[in-house]
Amino acid sequence: MMDDELFLNERIEVVAVFGEGLNLCRPVKFRRPNGREVVIVEIGLRHPTNAGLRTMHVFEVTDGGTDYRLELDTERLTWHLTREMDHYDSL
Amino acid sequence: MIRYDYNNERPMIMHIDLNSCFATIEQQARPMLRGRPVAIANRRSEHTCIVTASYEAKKHGASVGMKLSEARKLVPGLIILESDPPKYRYVYRRLMAIMKRYSAHITMKSIDEGIIDFNQATDTIQRRDLRDVGQEIKQSLIDEVGKAMICNVGIAPNRFLAKTAASLNKPDGLDVIDHTSLRSALLSLQLRDLTGIAKHNERRLNAVGIYTPIEFLDADSDTLTRMVFKSVLGTQWHRRLRGWEVDDVVYDMKTVGRQYVLESQNLSKEDILRRLHHLCESVGYRMRSKGRAARGVYVYVRTYNHDYWHRRQMSPLPFYSNQAIYAQAAMLFAQAPITGIREIGVSCYQLETGASDQLSLFGDQLARERQITDAIDEINKRFGERTVHAAHTVGTDTLVRQKVPFGSTRYL
Repeated sequence: MMDDELFLNERIEVVAVFGEGLNLCRPVKFRRPNGREVVIVEIGLRHPTNAGLRTMHVFEVTDGGTDYRLELDTERLTWHLTREMDHYDSL
Repeated sequence: MIRYDYNNERPMIMHIDLNSCFATIEQQARPMLRGRPVAIANRRSEHTCIVTASYEAKKHGASVGMKLSEARKLVPGLIILESDPPKYRYVYRRLMAIMKRYSAHITMKSIDEGIIDFNQATDTIQRRDLRDVGQEIKQSLIDEVGKAMICNVGIAPNRFLAKTAASLNKPDGLDVIDHTSLRSALLSLQLRDLTGIAKHNERRLNAVGIYTPIEFLDADSDTLTRMVFKSVLGTQWHRRLRGWEVDDVVYDMKTVGRQYVLESQNLSKEDILRRLHHLCESVGYRMRSKGRAARGVYVYVRTYNHDYWHRRQMSPLPFYSNQAIYAQAAMLFAQAPITGIREIGVSCYQLETGASDQLSLFGDQLARERQITDAIDEINKRFGERTVHAAHTVGTDTLVRQKVPFGSTRYL
């Protein structure tokens, strides 16, 4: 089913490490507006995307049970949780 | 007479193929999808076809072009995702950057496959064993994109055999075909496994008693030219199969087009026109991004009864704007059948570079139209695709979305 994806637009607080390696920026954990904290165990892919000339970095990450899509707006320096992908066990 | 004039030069062409590309990238991006059957479609609708299936889904019989409803019946637990072009373009660019480290002569054949020609690489690179280079490229892809990004590498004296080599041990192969291993490599294949041999060509070959790639290889040039392909294609196949290069050709852009499978059977003609208008805007933008103007417009319609209707029209002067393309497309479409339309498409052809030098009575008007069009394109480039578009196409954005084209890397 397509319904394993939940489309969101939640402003989130993120703890990230800026360092070296494959991902120069590595989100480590984030807090959702409902207070729930999610610890990231793997960054699957980070890729840039554009809204006109504005660059957004998309981080597809997982906490080991659910996959999430986080977007960093490089102009406004804001993070949004835009997708939650779950329900794999019911498939 | 059979002649074994195989190309015995050192294999210097490398073909790199990301199999099940979009599905593999999704599995890389979303760790929870790894090991699960995944299918990628361009739209969230039961009637849409699969664009890519993961290996796990292919094992159960899912294949490219299969309807989602059909795939769902075949594959238990199938996860269907909508394609995400920016993600695939990113991986495409990463792959291209990795390939460019080895030679300036690379060709991206499509979003998921590329070729490195080592004939013109530096001496340092040429002295290396290309198997090691292939292994290094595979590792770089894993290191720089992610651990799920496996690919196939094929090395051979020409493009065709390099692609064939890359298909021998999917999904994580690295194979070489040269004059010593050519026959053994072809032994394991069927005619239809060869790139360029589909149903029609297979039938032609069968008609003269050729049923296997080895028989195809052993056929003489005359038989292929006079009896099978009835053209120079026969000679080309004879040379291609023996490892001689015939596919190093760059084709000029002749048309720019887009098509759309309607989301419902119950759309009014006006609704269909709005979608056609959207396609025209998209075609116009693509055409202008390549610095071209067109002289002709072609419109087609496919119906649920598998009928194909089309009309084309040439214009005395080249045209450039979305409005001009749509005006002609709408005029042609007015003659189309009105019931049972399943798919619509529009193309611009007879492409010309830049502005026309011909003087015209309407020169000022055309110049103004060009300036407005350029200004709108500039706004859309700056603030995002379709920031400014015709009022007529409001509401079509979520339907007629731009997807990744297969077989062409022009717009990546």
